[in-house]
Amino acid sequence: MQASEHQLRMWMVSGLGGDADAHTTLLRVLMPVLRQFFRRRMPGQGDAIEDLVQETLIAVHTRRATYDPARPFTGWMFAIARYKMIDQFRANGRFCTIEGMEDILVSEGFAEASDAGADVDRLLGSLSPKQEAMIRATRIEGLSVAEAAARANIGESDVKISVHRGLRLLAERVKDSLR
Amino acid sequence: MNSDELISRLVQDFKPVPRHALGWRICAGLALGAAVSFAVVIALGFRPDLWIAMQSFSFWMKWIYTVSLGAAAIAATAKLARPDTPPMGWLWVLALPVLGLAAISVTELAHAPSEHWLEMWLGKSWKVCSSTVFLLALPIFGGLLWSFRRLAPTRLRAAGATAGLTAGAWGATLYCLHCPEVSAIFVLTWYSLGIGAASLVGALVGPKLLRW
Repeated sequence: MQASEHQLRMWMVSGLGGDADAHTTLLRVLMPVLRQFFRRRMPGQGDAIEDLVQETLIAVHTRRATYDPARPFTGWMFAIARYKMIDQFRANGRFCTIEGMEDILVSEGFAEASDAGADVDRLLGSLSPKQEAMIRATRIEGLSVAEAAARANIGESDVKISVHRGLRLLAERVKDSLR
Repeated sequence: MNSDELISRLVQDFKPVPRHALGWRICAGLALGAAVSFAVVIALGFRPDLWIAMQSFSFWMKWIYTVSLGAAAIAATAKLARPDTPPMGWLWVLALPVLGLAAISVTELAHAPSEHWLEMWLGKSWKVCSSTVFLLALPIFGGLLWSFRRLAPTRLRAAGATAGLTAGAWGATLYCLHCPEVSAIFVLTWYSLGIGAASLVGALVGPKLLRW
């Protein structure tokens, strides 16, 4: 069962107000949620995951005064879970998942690299299917001429000619687009 | 122990959490520490002209400087005590008291003959001022560490720095009861140095001492 943010927050607020049953329900419901959270981030570490689930439950309980009812409950709870996970990684000296991976990829030029890939696709798409397939096979996948010829079931000279003409056409198109 | 047992054990001694419990917890730690620092200031002795001084501009200039830094630092510490820390962009307000005091310093220096500048800057107690502010900050920092035992900071270095800043600023506030210096440039330099040192030490020890 996945309880909604609204329901979790209701239990939390009742618990803060002194309703022990609501608080118990909350902790029970959080167990599978946390298990899933850690499992997704650290696959294949069953024992560590169970420890982290318990650590997080203890923290949710003992540090519940730090929850601000005006703010989302899940944000608060997952912030604790993430802290516990990173703390454990640090203790074990392991690499951990990186917050804001998208930003890092942007600053590392990942977007530009994939743009370049898209440009290559577009240019190759403008050639004949045979020329495109042979350039991909020999220049991008890195097959030898003989391997490419065997795979496409054509002669080796046919491969060489297709690649040669295709590249010449590509060079012309690139020159045209720069003009 | 399986998780179900854990939960039943956790809720055994269940108590409601009062509203603003986090704020109270921080204030309690602060007050505990400040009581110790206050006792130290009593031992050092109040400045003999305290009652007269309290009617002067320079005394209130010092207090407004340290209290405004201290208030902003408490607010920042309270925010960093939650795991889901909200954006801290507003921290630039900490620059306002510093800039204000810098403006007063420049005005004071401009109105004084330049042969007095060194004396205004060093006062009579520059050698002990920063270190005393720092020492008075230590009990308050200790009190805040106690507060944090029930709190959940996730940015430990930042939380340590703001706790140190809080301790430094309130330590300096108490030191004003002892320190007879009057010039703004003195406060801007030596008080800020002590407060800054407390904040720096807080940032250094935060990741170790605030871990939970």
